[in-house]
Amino acid sequence: MVFHKINLTVNDEYEEMVVPSNMTLLQMLREKMALTGTKNGCSAGECGACTVLMNGEPVNSCMVLAVECNAATIITVEGLARDNQLDPVQEAVIEAGGVQCGFCTPGILMSSRALLNRNPDPDEKEIAEALVGNLCRCTGYARIIRAIKEAARMKPGTSALSATD
Amino acid sequence: MGRASDALIPRPIGESKLRIDGRDKAIGAALYTDDLQFGNALLHARIKRSPHPHALIKRIDVSKARALPGVKAVVTGQDFPGYIGLYLQDRQIFCRDRVRYVGDPVVGVAAISENIAEQALDLIDVDYEVLEPVLDPELGVSAQAPLIHPDLEKYAVVNFIFPEPGTNISNHFKIRKGDVDNAWDQCASIVERRYRIPHIQHVPLEPHIAVAKQDELGEVTLWGSSQSPFAQRNLIAQSLGLSQSEIRVVSPYVGGGFGSKAGVSMEALAVAIATRARGRPVKLRLTREEEFYTAFVRQGLVAHFKMGCDASGRLLAMENKFYWDGGAYTEYGVNITRAAGYSCTGPYEVPNVRGDSYCVYTNHPVGGPMRGFGMPEMHAGLEQCIDELSLQIGMDPVEFRRLNCLKTGSTLVTGGRMHAIGLLQCLEKVSEAIEWGSKAPPSTPTKRRGKGVAIMWKAPAMPPNAGSSAWVELAEDGQVNVGVGGQDMGQGSFTIAAQMAAAALGVPYESVRVAAPVDTRYSPYEWQTVASRLTWSMGNAVVSAARDVRRQVLQVAAEAWGETPEDLDIVNGTVISYKSEKETPLKNLGIYGLPKPDGRGWRGGPIIGRGSFMPSDVTGLDPETGQGEKAVVHYTTGAQAVELEVDLDTGRIEIIRGVGAFDVGRAINPEMVKAQMEGGFVQGVSSALYEHLQLKNGFVQNPSLVDYRIATAVDIPGELQSFIVEVPQDDGPWGARGIGEHSMVPTLPAIANAIYDAVGIRLEGPPFSAEKVFLAMLDAGIVK
Amino acid sequence: MSLDAHPGLPEFEYVKPETLAEASQFLAVHRGEARPFVGGTDVFVRMRDGVWSDKYLVDVKCLGDLNRIAFEPLRGLVIGAAVNMNRVIAFQAVREKYAVLAEAAESCASYQLRTRATIVGNICNASPAGDTIGACLLLDGILDVHGTDGMREEPLGSFFLGSGKTSLRPGDIVTSIRLPAPPKGLAGRYIKHGRNKISDLAIVGVTVVGCPRDDQASGYRIRLALASVAPVPLVVDEVEAILSNKKIDAKGIAEAAQAAMSACDPIDDVRGSTRYRRLMVRNLSIKALTDVWEQLRK
Repeated sequence: MVFHKINLTVNDEYEEMVVPSNMTLLQMLREKMALTGTKNGCSAGECGACTVLMNGEPVNSCMVLAVECNAATIITVEGLARDNQLDPVQEAVIEAGGVQCGFCTPGILMSSRALLNRNPDPDEKEIAEALVGNLCRCTGYARIIRAIKEAARMKPGTSALSATD
Repeated sequence: MGRASDALIPRPIGESKLRIDGRDKAIGAALYTDDLQFGNALLHARIKRSPHPHALIKRIDVSKARALPGVKAVVTGQDFPGYIGLYLQDRQIFCRDRVRYVGDPVVGVAAISENIAEQALDLIDVDYEVLEPVLDPELGVSAQAPLIHPDLEKYAVVNFIFPEPGTNISNHFKIRKGDVDNAWDQCASIVERRYRIPHIQHVPLEPHIAVAKQDELGEVTLWGSSQSPFAQRNLIAQSLGLSQSEIRVVSPYVGGGFGSKAGVSMEALAVAIATRARGRPVKLRLTREEEFYTAFVRQGLVAHFKMGCDASGRLLAMENKFYWDGGAYTEYGVNITRAAGYSCTGPYEVPNVRGDSYCVYTNHPVGGPMRGFGMPEMHAGLEQCIDELSLQIGMDPVEFRRLNCLKTGSTLVTGGRMHAIGLLQCLEKVSEAIEWGSKAPPSTPTKRRGKGVAIMWKAPAMPPNAGSSAWVELAEDGQVNVGVGGQDMGQGSFTIAAQMAAAALGVPYESVRVAAPVDTRYSPYEWQTVASRLTWSMGNAVVSAARDVRRQVLQVAAEAWGETPEDLDIVNGTVISYKSEKETPLKNLGIYGLPKPDGRGWRGGPIIGRGSFMPSDVTGLDPETGQGEKAVVHYTTGAQAVELEVDLDTGRIEIIRGVGAFDVGRAINPEMVKAQMEGGFVQGVSSALYEHLQLKNGFVQNPSLVDYRIATAVDIPGELQSFIVEVPQDDGPWGARGIGEHSMVPTLPAIANAIYDAVGIRLEGPPFSAEKVFLAMLDAGIVK
Repeated sequence: MSLDAHPGLPEFEYVKPETLAEASQFLAVHRGEARPFVGGTDVFVRMRDGVWSDKYLVDVKCLGDLNRIAFEPLRGLVIGAAVNMNRVIAFQAVREKYAVLAEAAESCASYQLRTRATIVGNICNASPAGDTIGACLLLDGILDVHGTDGMREEPLGSFFLGSGKTSLRPGDIVTSIRLPAPPKGLAGRYIKHGRNKISDLAIVGVTVVGCPRDDQASGYRIRLALASVAPVPLVVDEVEAILSNKKIDAKGIAEAAQAAMSACDPIDDVRGSTRYRRLMVRNLSIKALTDVWEQLRK
């Protein structure tokens, strides 16, 4: 088995890693970097629980090899909050009651953040389409969609939740 | 304890507080079982499973697997003779002489990596003698069917389940009430139908996972995604010949359960392997594919309905026969069939009933509890028959239900009386909200629009002595810690526990914490997180424990102030006297007590409140007639209505809007109650339109998310309204009863009734896929 | 197949050559045990399922012009093999001049998968369900292929040999697809029918393109291709014939749709039955042809 040396930026931190060919980005994050916020729901690119931002775009990290991430910039759910303030998508989803079991939540938040980055004022149809690759079994989606619509209007730090304890 | 009083509802009862665990989940800090770190002692397990639906095991050779470098343990059924099961002990941890479904565990391997364990499976040889499988429950009951459990009569079974030895019937529940045979002659109209409800799966986003470790003393620790830590402790201990206190179960956050993580399934495999791993922890995870065919699935059902009414539309008789495709092991499924049996009339008053509910062994994946516990499967056909019957006598379906549905005091199919319920109000609310009776034109000329309604009932299905307990304590800072044994799998039980403790004690919600994760070593006992029972049962225990703390606090303060507790209160975290207007914060009091009035010594000390709740008055039901005074603790009832369109070109169904109303007694947290109603509705829509675990010759044809479709964000109705009806439950906390399951029950038949309204066809069973709807319309001549 | 899915990817070697020549050489030398990949969305799934078990996965993403998408008025649109679907959808020239390709790409999977999936990857897998292949065929796509003896062109029309089989040889790497400059007045429509509203694999996919043509009796050239109903993506030539030689009307469209139905050869599988697929070919062809006809008439 050949190992590859890679360097990459994860949540604003520069990292050097050594990974085997068949390790996915998801496995590297969870097993080698203690970033367990990103979840494994299917390992087949279908459920979206493993969604992270790679070079600004959402990907299923179970469908990306770790070795492909050399020189990449990765953001996971742990990197969403900035300077102790929750990202508006996090605040909004909590306030709207869009979190139940929470397993889909990190992936949903990453897809939503990416959506608002490329489309700052999406309508509900656009939000739903952007989230079609993030399965949720608990909420029925409506609260999440309303939350993202609300998040588009929010400035970071405007909700009571934003400061960490 | 929980006597309902409308007089004063203390805050924060009835307030939509934000989830206690919402922030943790949204920042990725909430730990699920696969997130726990065990260091490099951790071993990874994989299971070698049966490739046949039914076969005898002739020979197992694990020698090559054992020799693979990195493999640390290999176990087979030879090492574990014990049986395991919740209501019927028909299952062994690993198969010993026979495999009964494709996926049945035969060998367990633990290795230093998941990949090595997986490679080891290919080095294991198993010789089978293939047997004829049973693939249909109606064929399964025939005398010619091969016996899947020849030793059925030897299995330990609870006293309310009735297996028929020498057959594949692991439970037969009967209702014999009135005189059905003569009642048909008095019926002006009769409907007789068969419905086939296929298997579906829960699809929790987090697949099953367990980590187990046995230490040098033989004590076991099991970490897992579990709805039932205490039940797992109990059942696994019994099976391994340990005592309950020798097993500790810890369950971190659960990424969705819906029933699949109740009881015991794959967790026992992890424990068994761990007993041979020389003290190292062993992690077993199911792949998503394994989740589909080796975790619990929802049983299939073949249901025969016959029902009749008189000329005025009053139901006179029902004769309903259910053949449940229970799968290879029905240790849990037997109770589903019982619950369907004692609910077999649906939420209606029917004087003459013959009901037979058979749980049948088949060589299919293992049927287990899924949201609704038999109610969605049963109502699927029953509520369609009700519609058919009403239309047959020329009566509006809502009017028919108004006339026949259960009301306070109605006689139940099991003979007792219905407690106070708001089912009629639920029905009225949804028909008003959906604008029943009016029809909007379709959105395009190639679509047809329809409306449908359905009502439901469900009781918590559990043993008559399923108990809850709770403790409450205070810290020096005045914050409250609540210990519970019930799990929060997303439905919000921790939040509710905190709200109820806050209300009963007199402190702000924000100052209450819940002692999670549930850990059987420290948490108080809870039977299981199932049956929509926590708000009611665990709630009663929490309230009791909080009130116990309140009593002790007021006692200490009264003694310290020379007053009587009746003049004191705790308001917003401060102990106050209405008489002297003295006050003191809860800080320190709960640990150090208060000084005596004369300054010589202290009173009080560390305060712990305890609470316990167990139903006391559920009577049995007669095994021959199914009659009994009190069959269940209570019922939650409700209704849903949908408006949809059928695309004549493709058969695709689009849900335009949905409405639900459920009588929850008291909504402790209204937004969370509505969230359950919404989530259940969408899961109901998904089960109606897309979901189908396709079985062929015992093999699941679509064990992946590619081909087992569930609703996505784009598939939800354009509009969904949820109404809360509150007719208090007399023994629930402030009148509350459960809601978690009920919103998935009437959705499918409401959709089916709406499809009939739109295009005049009914299908024998779901899913109402575009293909099935289109071909049915084609065969009926509605389209070409 | 899915019953044997492994928890993770099997062992393999990741190889990242520096040049196209090196890549082709490696693939040829290791024929039968090496595979080029770009987005990986098909490869990883099939390897996990045990369907493919290549010893080497050769990452060609960063080679040559594979990352380039460009439009020139004479050459047309060139989409590098590594350009992901989201980039194609967002590219201005695609939206303005090849709208049907954007529509087809948008119907694929999810935004996350489209960040990795590529048009060329779709084509090389030759999956009969590929959403964008129909548009590429009807727009007369030409593949640029780099092999052990250098560059060559392969017209898409003759590229597909059977389900999952193409005319590629060991050592071949498709570097881009070129869609010639579109005819004036091009109109198009892709209708995908899956089990969910979107995001599913196609049970049936119908692509139609049309444009005004003086040399046709009807005044228009209209072509139709089908996905998921034959071993290869299927261009139905009769549709073009029927709609070229007489005035186009609803009757003609129905006749063309009937021809599409007769031409297809769908299987029965867990996603849909033969009977249903045939009828959907007919109904969705009528829809797509009518839609394009209405676009052309404006």
